[in-house]
Amino acid sequence: MFGIVWTTDLLLLTIPSIALTGFMLLGLDPLRLRAFEIRVLAILGGVGPLIPMLVFATECFHGSCIGAVPIFTLVVGESTVALALQLDPLSALVGLTVSIIGAAVILYSVAYMAGTALGDLRRFFALMHLFLAAMLTMVLAGDSIVLFLGWEMMGLCSYLLIAYNTTSAQAIRAGRKAFIMTRFADAMLLAALLLLFLEANSVRLDALIPAGVAAQDGMRPIIAALLLGGAIGKSAQLPLHTWLPSAMAGPTPVSALLHSATMVAAGAVLLIRFAPILAAEPLLQALTAILGAATALFGAASALVQQDVKRLLAYSSISQIGTMMLSIGVGAPQAAAAHFVVHAIFKSLLFLAAGDIAHHSPQGTALAALRGARQRKPLAFLAFLAGAASLAGLPVITAGWWSKEAMLAAVWSAGPILWVVALATAVLTAAYATRAALVAAQPAPAAEAAQDDSSDTGYTLFPLAFLGFGALLAGGLVNPIIRFLGGDMPHAPAFTLAVAAIAPIAGAVLALALAPGAADTPMPAARTGGRRASVVDRVLRVLVIQPFVRLVRWVNGQDGGVEDPVGTGPARLVVWLRRTLAGPTAPDRADRLYKRAFVLPFLQLVRRLNGYGSGVVDPLGNLPARAVLRLQRALADALAPDWIDRWWRRIGAALLSIWTSARRLQTGRVRDHGLAMVAGTAGLLLLAWGYSWH
Amino acid sequence: MALTLLILFPFLGGVFALLAGKAEATAARIAAAVFLICGLLTLAWVVQHGDSGRWIMQSRHAWAPALGVNIILAIDGLSFILVALSLALGLLTVVLSWNSTDRAPLLHAALCWTVAASNGVFLSFDLVVFVFFWEMMLIPAFLLIAIWGHANREAAAMKFLIFNAIAGLGLLAAVFWIGATGPTLSFDAFEVAKRDIPVAAQIWLLLGFALAFMVKLPAPPFHAWLPDAHTEAPTVGSILLAGLLLKTGAYGLFRFPAMLFPEGMHVLAPWGMALGAFGTIYGALVACGQTDAKRLVAYTSVAHMSVVLMGICGGVHFSLMGAGIVMVAHAFSASALFLLIGAIHDRVHTRDLRELGGLQRSAPRFAAAFALFFAATLAMPGTANFLGEALVITGLFQVNWVYASITLVSLVISVVYGTRLFQRIVFGTARKTPVSLDLSFRELGPVIALAIGTLLFGLLPQFLMFGLDTAVNSAVDSLNAAAP
Repeated sequence: MFGIVWTTDLLLLTIPSIALTGFMLLGLDPLRLRAFEIRVLAILGGVGPLIPMLVFATECFHGSCIGAVPIFTLVVGESTVALALQLDPLSALVGLTVSIIGAAVILYSVAYMAGTALGDLRRFFALMHLFLAAMLTMVLAGDSIVLFLGWEMMGLCSYLLIAYNTTSAQAIRAGRKAFIMTRFADAMLLAALLLLFLEANSVRLDALIPAGVAAQDGMRPIIAALLLGGAIGKSAQLPLHTWLPSAMAGPTPVSALLHSATMVAAGAVLLIRFAPILAAEPLLQALTAILGAATALFGAASALVQQDVKRLLAYSSISQIGTMMLSIGVGAPQAAAAHFVVHAIFKSLLFLAAGDIAHHSPQGTALAALRGARQRKPLAFLAFLAGAASLAGLPVITAGWWSKEAMLAAVWSAGPILWVVALATAVLTAAYATRAALVAAQPAPAAEAAQDDSSDTGYTLFPLAFLGFGALLAGGLVNPIIRFLGGDMPHAPAFTLAVAAIAPIAGAVLALALAPGAADTPMPAARTGGRRASVVDRVLRVLVIQPFVRLVRWVNGQDGGVEDPVGTGPARLVVWLRRTLAGPTAPDRADRLYKRAFVLPFLQLVRRLNGYGSGVVDPLGNLPARAVLRLQRALADALAPDWIDRWWRRIGAALLSIWTSARRLQTGRVRDHGLAMVAGTAGLLLLAWGYSWH
Repeated sequence: MALTLLILFPFLGGVFALLAGKAEATAARIAAAVFLICGLLTLAWVVQHGDSGRWIMQSRHAWAPALGVNIILAIDGLSFILVALSLALGLLTVVLSWNSTDRAPLLHAALCWTVAASNGVFLSFDLVVFVFFWEMMLIPAFLLIAIWGHANREAAAMKFLIFNAIAGLGLLAAVFWIGATGPTLSFDAFEVAKRDIPVAAQIWLLLGFALAFMVKLPAPPFHAWLPDAHTEAPTVGSILLAGLLLKTGAYGLFRFPAMLFPEGMHVLAPWGMALGAFGTIYGALVACGQTDAKRLVAYTSVAHMSVVLMGICGGVHFSLMGAGIVMVAHAFSASALFLLIGAIHDRVHTRDLRELGGLQRSAPRFAAAFALFFAATLAMPGTANFLGEALVITGLFQVNWVYASITLVSLVISVVYGTRLFQRIVFGTARKTPVSLDLSFRELGPVIALAIGTLLFGLLPQFLMFGLDTAVNSAVDSLNAAAP
């Protein structure tokens, strides 16, 4: 019935299955596990998929990818639905990245989650395993059904993981928000996949994509737009980005897994996979690039003003995936894939290092909680620095630089405007990365210095060290990755390369110039008079900051009235950026707009349908009953009391009146009765006398 | 004969349960269970000895030839799946009510008779006999609500009876019209299908049939009986209502319009789709605002059964196949949700979402089961619900992309009501402390069975698709032959 033919290729199934088995054993708990066994199982399920993945990927890197592995076949009418996994260069690359990051994060979580109640520990690792299995399934999918299975399971797991702390109303709300918003994207992706299925009459990806490219009758733009919509929602790109910053309510390892290599990155992977369809629609490709560029700039600017380290990293993820989208939009999906790998490494590193530093901190995940890292957690501090350097893209010595260089070169070929935006993003990225690193480098205030801290164990040190080296050294992989995926290293004129190399340094200098006064001010506040500015500082002020502030002020129509425009300039700049990009309060402007445009009207509609206010519950459902009742009342009014009944009532009334008049005779007085007796006797005598006449 | 036994065994199960229950309550349960198992065994025998053609088995017994009424029974893949579902759900409810003390023999008898009547509906092809079983089904269901229900049971039972009895009149009138206007006095559906009924008449007849089916389905605006009936019915009653009674409406729509009135169906199907599209959004929206957990699930039933209506009216292979799968999947997921909510109600005596919470900690097994069926209600891939809805949407894309998009929107709204139901019960802190914590073994068995069904048909849908194929094909062929 299913036609499963056993081959060693079917071992590909073990990759998600190992994590899935971990989920079942931990989730259903048939073995009544204790804390130690839970930890062992967590590591086995988290690291296990890496082993077959390494074997298959190595084989693939050596040039023998096994391609599609059919699992079983269904017949629906005239269509054949062949469920399959596949291992092509893209899935080998992404699958390997995901399993490495997954293994690192789960190893780290074993230490991070120590001391959690047994049931919660099981639930945590079970969901992490399920999540990992879902992402691996999505990456290795050979057909649209399996792809969507993984894609959608990730949404469910993200809901349950973000809301992991089930007693926190905020976490629950954040999880629900993430689920609903990504589900909106999922619906678009489902529509795209079903339309592709109707075009290709097959669900296999290797048949779907050519069929999508060849689609006629205006179907191709619709399919491409739906694919783009699906990717945007899952990847938290403009304008569907608002769920990601809220999602930071989840535990830090969850953020590290969901918001570096999986979930949010899945949208980029999807578009890389379906890039040929997008490439056939120049308009939508341009839209992808523009949305990506806008998101990249927006995310970087928002990250600059965050006061919470996890929110900072969330906006950073939004921004970095925006650059990937930009790269896909300019026709360089291979460069985007390379940046996916590099970003996965340094972003998970940043989350893990920040989580390690700020763990048990009284300030929670505020940026200020990073202070004193150098003294308290030197290795985590170094790892954080490595991650930040890679995020900033410091030239040559970090992996981030190599992948960004490739993307920038590709963007150059698409036109200078997008390139300038990408460059501005690079400057801002370096600025916020430096800012975070500077805060971490500050000594902790005396009051906090003495705080107790658990020392690092191998569970945290090994992933941090491994990812730290990766964040610095993986740059050598960028070129091979692009080649491996069948692309060419993008070329751009030498001066653009030079400018691109200066950008991160400029950003870092900018951040230094803006001076990290105190981490808990919205940003590098205006500098106070006490400190003497250095020469570089003064030169920068005159050459860079002052003209920029003038421009900003001009844009805002403000002039004069401020004593120290240069001194307060940076603060104003930040306030302006915040106002325009991020809104006056922490949740950004789009978030509030959505609340007003969608959430509140939806609630209103639901309330009205349920009779809050009007008192009529389920108005439509009650319509037939109300109609019948009204008819009955109308009939009753016309007929009541009914005609025949009226006659019976009249008879009754007549009897009643007879009875009441007859009752008057019954007075109960002896003389009345005597009189009646005498009268009656007299009458009878009269009657007898009358008869006697006959 | 075997087909008759499929109806007779559950019926006799009820009779024996009632008789045996006078002496000993345990005997009643055993009688009910044994007869239902006999029904399942008969079903297995039917498949073993059946044909592989359009009909697995057919049988014909004269009953009142002078009136043109005969007992014509036939079983194909669709009927087989539904009969198996009804016997299995019957057995499940008997197991669930195993320890019930309140008039237990009558309760078991009512459960068995509901199964018997719905089996009659799924197997009968003589229209008068069909109507007979259709109406007979109401009586045990009415008893289930009115005797063992919650506080407002009488009103809910009356509402259920009035809605369905009035709607049944449409079916009855249409059937008599068919009988009276034919060349010979005959109610044989196979013979009626061959008649050449004028299109105008077909439309009226179809409206009569559809009235009965749509109220039972239920499609808005005829759904008002369902939330009340579901809310007030005991757990086993809710399970049979959601798992069986709604399915008889869907079965009727699936089977008869395409078979008897294909031209009429061509005229009315677009209206049916529009009604279904409206219903799926409306049901989902109303579900979002409920505070009673059972009522919420009842409104999700309206949303999901409206998808079935759309799939059937879509009239293409994918959408019909999808409708069939949603029918089965919804029977599993809605039954399981009613079971789980009933289990909560037994323990903390409330179903008010504002008072519940924290079962994550106090009842982890319950929470895990609830998570699975929550996912099924949202049509997560991997569950049969997803497969069905995806197929319906695929089919609707072939017919009219607007309806396909509306169904996709309802998938998004399903997350809103789904998470509301889930997190209000499972997350948060416990506001009411349950007496005995987690699911008992007697509840766990049925839950596991339903979970296996949901996942099995979601991951290996071949069994289900193979069964539905002949019925879907013949409906599509009949509709295509009548295409203008």
